[in-house]
Amino acid sequence: MQEWVEGIKVSRRGVLRALGLLGVSAAAAPFLAGEPGVASGQGNLGSLQPEEKVDATLKRLFGGRPIKDGSNMIKMDLPLIAENGAVVPITVEVQSPMTPTNYVKSIYIISDRNRRPMNARFSLTPEMGAAAIGANLRLNETGDVRAIAELNDGTLLMAKREVKVTVGGCGG
Amino acid sequence: MAEIGKVRIRIPSNIKRGDVVRVRSLVIHPMEIVQRRDGKPVDKNYLFIHKVMVEYNGREILQADTTQSISENPFFSFTFKPTEPGMLRITFLDTHGGKYEGTAEIKFT
Repeated sequence: MQEWVEGIKVSRRGVLRALGLLGVSAAAAPFLAGEPGVASGQGNLGSLQPEEKVDATLKRLFGGRPIKDGSNMIKMDLPLIAENGAVVPITVEVQSPMTPTNYVKSIYIISDRNRRPMNARFSLTPEMGAAAIGANLRLNETGDVRAIAELNDGTLLMAKREVKVTVGGCGG
Repeated sequence: MAEIGKVRIRIPSNIKRGDVVRVRSLVIHPMEIVQRRDGKPVDKNYLFIHKVMVEYNGREILQADTTQSISENPFFSFTFKPTEPGMLRITFLDTHGGKYEGTAEIKFT
């Protein structure tokens, strides 16, 4: 008798456990499989973007277009040593006329060693009078910072500078 | 952070017609960075400014797409050449739908 009850109990427990496992997995399945899909489907700008190497970023932004050396035209001003990677001031100035027929269309700031190297893109207009912009960056670790200027005729010019970062700012 | 979205714009006090003016702007914003749990980045809707638009008398003169690699309380500076007096308006948009605006009046002396 005792054995029989025990047998029932065990089997009942086993069934419950099996049900529980099923339930848990059934509840977890849509959560695990569905959520990233929904998030990317909505095109949420704030969602986590995949990690990228700088070569992949350049390819994504510019395709295979040649990037010329623009170190004599682009003046970058940023510290050689950044003690605090969370706030690194940078100014980029492109020595180019800003007329409706000849101007700098955009300036990209790219830091090689951040999780996502593309930091900021500025779209300029001739009304600005001069192609000069400034911002504060977060740099993750010591590495190159590039400024890429795209002229209105499609020419790409690049300048880069190495910045030593003492304490990383954990860039996005 | 009651101050989120407070925009400050600084322009030179003395502007002459035809000058190239350097404008400096700052917005109070947390600019959340990627969080990590057990070494893995967490996927969530991060709060940061992703767009900056600068208009002068309703005409767009500068647009910036920004990422989390921009510091907390983002600072931007740029130049522009006003040909007539008017209103400079800087708009910041964040990923949670927030919209923060600041204006500055440009007068010639």
